[in-house]
Amino acid sequence: MALGANALSPRGLKLTRNYSPGNAVAASHSVVASTIGLPPSANLEKQFRAEGLRLADSALAAHLFTDPKREQGLVVFVDARDDEHYRAGHIPGAFQLDHYHPENYLAAVLPASQAAEQVVVYCKGGSCEDSEQTAIFLRDAGVPKDRLFVYAGGFDEWSARHMPIETGERNSGQVTSALPAAK
Amino acid sequence: MNTADLTITTANTAPTRPALDYLGTVARWVLGLVFIYMGWSKAMHPETFLKLIRQYDLTNNSFVLNSIAAGLPWFEIFCGLLLLAGIGARGSALLLLLMLLPFTLIVLRRALAISDMQHIALCAVRFDCGCGNGEVLICRKVVENTLLIFLSGFVLAGFGTRLAARFTLFSSSNPAA
Repeated sequence: MALGANALSPRGLKLTRNYSPGNAVAASHSVVASTIGLPPSANLEKQFRAEGLRLADSALAAHLFTDPKREQGLVVFVDARDDEHYRAGHIPGAFQLDHYHPENYLAAVLPASQAAEQVVVYCKGGSCEDSEQTAIFLRDAGVPKDRLFVYAGGFDEWSARHMPIETGERNSGQVTSALPAAK
Repeated sequence: MNTADLTITTANTAPTRPALDYLGTVARWVLGLVFIYMGWSKAMHPETFLKLIRQYDLTNNSFVLNSIAAGLPWFEIFCGLLLLAGIGARGSALLLLLMLLPFTLIVLRRALAISDMQHIALCAVRFDCGCGNGEVLICRKVVENTLLIFLSGFVLAGFGTRLAARFTLFSSSNPAA
């Protein structure tokens, strides 16, 4: 009955799908990082590389954000969080790709990612593993892995540095320098 | 004496202690509401629950993990509803007990690991255990779970037949009637 309810629920999980491709680097990192606020460890980059991914620090993320190529669609940011968090605030112009429900987003994000020279994927940051798994998802969907970056500091770091934040839909034009209120 | 006789005898012992039986009814309602709330908050965000249970390193099998994340919240909701209505209450309490005991131990094991890793007291450890109410202090969670285990045991012992639709599911006569 419980699994039947899950099948009927619009938020239900597909039992046969592997929602955690790769080696879940961030998950293993999270026990420590989530509770004492450690920055991403030195090993993280090496572990991401094992998945064919590259790590972006805050300086690189900020540099790519201000890169004129972003306006041309050659640098793309991808937000791996769910709808609620995305609407509350995201990096301006970032596409959304919640890899738990990819069918809702792929039509927009996949062509943009395939056309881009650099794709920066982020989630909340810290213990969050969604950016890594979304990057792996994009890689498996055909985006060349050498173009994929994981911004490990994520949205928490971005907003803590008072970088521009867009609320609502993508390109809504509602851009602020910080979130109105911390959740 | 066959199994059915045993069931009736056990269930019938409760009304002879009305005060305890009323307390059992309150326990049943509290358990029911707590599990409906906790189950619902997880069922609305099963992917969040999946991420949390993955961190316990119970298994790497995605089908098993998905089944737990997808099924457990609804299972809690169904058990909660049955307890609230007083239908098969003893069976529901037993199932919750069987779920609470190992889960509390798993949470405690992870809390001990974090406490050891960070060199902090166990009661200072705080994380989202996937219990349905976000990040919590683990000592508090263990106390809460112990209370829930006690309440489940109380209902399982046969108390809480008042205002129960069908307290013992497989019984020819129902004491709550």
